[in-house]
Amino acid sequence: MALYRQTRLLGVLLILQVIAMVGIGVWLFASVDWDRVLILVNEQGQVRAQSVEGPWLKPLEQAVLYAIYFLAPAILLLLAGLGFVLLRRRGWMLASVAQAICLLVCLFSYTDPRPWFAYPIIAYCILMILYLNSQGVRAVVHSRRMAPAGARSETGHGE
Amino acid sequence: MANEESLDARYAEALLRRFEPVIRFTRGEWFYPMDAEPYVDACSLWVRRPGEDAVCLVPAGELTLENLAQQPEDSTGAVHYLKIPTSKEDERRGLLARLRVRRSRKDPDWPRETFRAGRGRLARVGYISRLADALFSLVLLTRGRVPGGDVEGARVLYGRLMEREEHFRYHGRVIRQNGWIVLQYWLFYAFNDWRSNFFGANDHESDWEKVMVFLSESESGEVRPEWVAYAAHEETGDDLRRRWDDPVLEKSGEHPVIYVCAGSHASRYSRGEYLTELAFPLPRAFAAARRFARRFWYITLRQYTDEASAELPYERFTIPFVDYGRGDGLSVGPGQEREWDPPRLMLDPLPSWVAGYRGLWGLYTRDPFEGEDAPAGPMYDRDKTISKEWYDPVGWAGLDKVPSRTEELEVIHKRQAEIEQRRDLLRSEILEKSNRLKALGMDAEATRDRSHLTKLYETQTRHIEVLSKEVEEMRAELAEDEVLHESLGEYAERLRNGERSPAHAHMSHPVRPVSEEETHAGRVAQLWASISIALVLVTLILIIAYERSHLLSALVFAIAVFAFIEAGFRRRLARFIVSVNVALAVVGALVLLEHYFWNVIVLAVLGIGFYILWENLRELGR
Repeated sequence: MALYRQTRLLGVLLILQVIAMVGIGVWLFASVDWDRVLILVNEQGQVRAQSVEGPWLKPLEQAVLYAIYFLAPAILLLLAGLGFVLLRRRGWMLASVAQAICLLVCLFSYTDPRPWFAYPIIAYCILMILYLNSQGVRAVVHSRRMAPAGARSETGHGE
Repeated sequence: MANEESLDARYAEALLRRFEPVIRFTRGEWFYPMDAEPYVDACSLWVRRPGEDAVCLVPAGELTLENLAQQPEDSTGAVHYLKIPTSKEDERRGLLARLRVRRSRKDPDWPRETFRAGRGRLARVGYISRLADALFSLVLLTRGRVPGGDVEGARVLYGRLMEREEHFRYHGRVIRQNGWIVLQYWLFYAFNDWRSNFFGANDHESDWEKVMVFLSESESGEVRPEWVAYAAHEETGDDLRRRWDDPVLEKSGEHPVIYVCAGSHASRYSRGEYLTELAFPLPRAFAAARRFARRFWYITLRQYTDEASAELPYERFTIPFVDYGRGDGLSVGPGQEREWDPPRLMLDPLPSWVAGYRGLWGLYTRDPFEGEDAPAGPMYDRDKTISKEWYDPVGWAGLDKVPSRTEELEVIHKRQAEIEQRRDLLRSEILEKSNRLKALGMDAEATRDRSHLTKLYETQTRHIEVLSKEVEEMRAELAEDEVLHESLGEYAERLRNGERSPAHAHMSHPVRPVSEEETHAGRVAQLWASISIALVLVTLILIIAYERSHLLSALVFAIAVFAFIEAGFRRRLARFIVSVNVALAVVGALVLLEHYFWNVIVLAVLGIGFYILWENLRELGR
């Protein structure tokens, strides 16, 4: 039971990561000055959305890029988190891949100037990588591999 | 060789024949154990002195086992060696054989079977090893090595000899050492073609391999086999030997079964394919850094490690080669396809070719690593010193600390008597010293706080300290002796009840064949292993030439893609993901440190301060 407690904790931490990432995304979209970015024009009875070039487009660009970069890892993290909380031992590979994607984005896509939110994400990912690879967590994942009924190759950690 | 003695020749031969091994070869083997005499008769004798060209001393056709030992024109640094006769035709055929052209039907009818490598060794190892292997092959071009025609020459020679008189012979020696009767089976092969024909590490003319059976002898003269040791490359010690009742040791009646690896002729206990590693030492600083990094990762950060990673050595780098000990070829021995011919004996007085010829039994290539030089005879090493296998076979197999079963109880009783004697002595000494200590204690008490006796008091205190330490050590020794005495008694009881320690208890790293799963991988994996290193190099060069603007990211991407494919083929995706994550985490940590350097310092100092405060307050609260 102590082992499962660890995996549940891992699941909760992963879900917290998703919540934080979604929170940052919401904040980024909320920071966009929609009144300037999106102007509704009524031309001959037809309503059209129009955007005006200017520095106010920058936050929108940042928000959209954030969504593109972090949508996939957020989904993976959510699945992994739920897997650990509900199914106890599933999701190790998903969580690891998601951490790798998050770190890759923060390190290589966000270069100078790196936005403020990249740093806490990097820090959290590092801690999660250490925790995912800790002896306790890997022992639980490993025990599933060792179990005769669930015996499978090394690639089958997650699904 | 104080307690070593030879046995009566007839008895020795009878023992050799009784326990002679059954040898199972791999299909496609070219050379089988043969008599040394026809080989020597066909060879020429050469000498190479330092800085001079090699000189032929005895041409082929004039050399015999009898005149081999004469070793004429000896001088400091001179190396005598035999040479297999090779013709221009052999060289041409050797070249063609390497280009995979089928041999002519007119060739001597040896070998009869062909070898199929199966999954290549490169598919079983990582990029670094493959790169090192490529470098090793390149270095071989500059090192001394056996010419390609030699293996063909040896094959033709061996084929002719076998057609003239087909025989399978070992060279037998029997000695007594340390209470053991050691049966030595020396197997002579005309050539070691591991590199040429089986993708191995080396080739050399002639090959001497050995198998030993260790017998115990009861007082009535009855012998019982207890251990066997098969030679494989340079391996020695405990891991080399197996107990006679070990289930891993296959036997055919009283004959141990050996699986001889193709080309290298290394002897193995089980059928299979073995990863034999060629080890190179790493620079000390590099090894220390590696050790530190691993300790920090696995112990300090408590990160997960699998068994394979935990056992990786710090101080050496290895290139793996495959030894094929499949046992699906010819079988030689009692009751097999081919029987042993009567052995050639090497008993006292030793034949002159054994004791007198200290040279090499084949071509001297001047290879600095000696892997391509032919071996010396059974009695000597390449440097002309007597080999350990010859003068100390018991030590070679790590048996010098193991009594035979007939001696076990006797050794235990002797040891117990020794301990009892020492225990009595210790007890009386402890009693005497304790009394002395008490007296000194009284003296010290009587002289304490007396100003005129200060010096005497100090001297007594020093004596008390020394004596106390002595008594303490003796008591510890006595306690250990008592425990040991008891353990020996229990062990003797277990032995009397017929119990024995597990058959593998003496081994720390037994050599095992690679798993079936590893052996039977797909052709795509094999193809990938063969082309990957070249592909990596070409890709890197293309990136450097055409993608200089995005050099770093292109390199990282290319390496990641190659590593991912490799991990997929080797079923190590989990390990790959962990490695990528670790690398990214390290880079991330550096980025954080660079961005928040002073914040990190301040936080670290605050953390340490709070920790110390917490500890002190906790102490106050107790």
